[in-house]
Amino acid sequence: MTVTVKFWSYFKDHTECAETSLELPPDATLGEAHAAVIAQFPVLGDMQNSTLKAVGVNYQPDEFLLNDDDEISLFPPVQGG
Amino acid sequence: MKTQLTLTPDPIDERALIAEREMTVGMGAALIFHGVVRAQEGEATIAAIDYEAFDDMACHQFELIFEEIDRQWPIESVRVVHRVGVVPVNEPSLWLELIAPHRAEAFQACQFLINEMKQRVPIWKRPVLPSA
Repeated sequence: MTVTVKFWSYFKDHTECAETSLELPPDATLGEAHAAVIAQFPVLGDMQNSTLKAVGVNYQPDEFLLNDDDEISLFPPVQGG
Repeated sequence: MKTQLTLTPDPIDERALIAEREMTVGMGAALIFHGVVRAQEGEATIAAIDYEAFDDMACHQFELIFEEIDRQWPIESVRVVHRVGVVPVNEPSLWLELIAPHRAEAFQACQFLINEMKQRVPIWKRPVLPSA
């Protein structure tokens, strides 16, 4: 399956792109997708533990099962206000 | 509970917001909070903050926070304005208004809203230095 990964805030600077796409096996999890992104962009590995992960507009845990065409967002801690 | 959320690049027009206020006769507290950009960001003196939002998710997360407020307190209305883009020092980046029967629930809900926003609403800031 194919998923889109969007980067926000300074993650865009680190990856030098706003989004990428991933080819993943069926039943892949969000955590597995995150690991695949880090393999592609090793600089994000330093922020792995503080990275927030969403699918669509909802936060999801690493165990979340992805579907084809899902849109993942990866970003640093939020800072509104 | 009535809710209104605005993410905008424009300066916050408080006079217009207050003119639009709707408050029934049973309400005794109208609480307004301004979050204002400070000149100090850590060790640095800055000129502004550049806010970036993931708009769709930010709106959804604010809606979830509003739902939690509605479950916990008898708030009549919540209005939130958060700026995006460059906000100069000493200008508000955040404007909140809560209408409630009494001040206690208005203050509690206000604190809750801001704390939750800072935990989960996807908005980020970048300091803008005076020379930029």
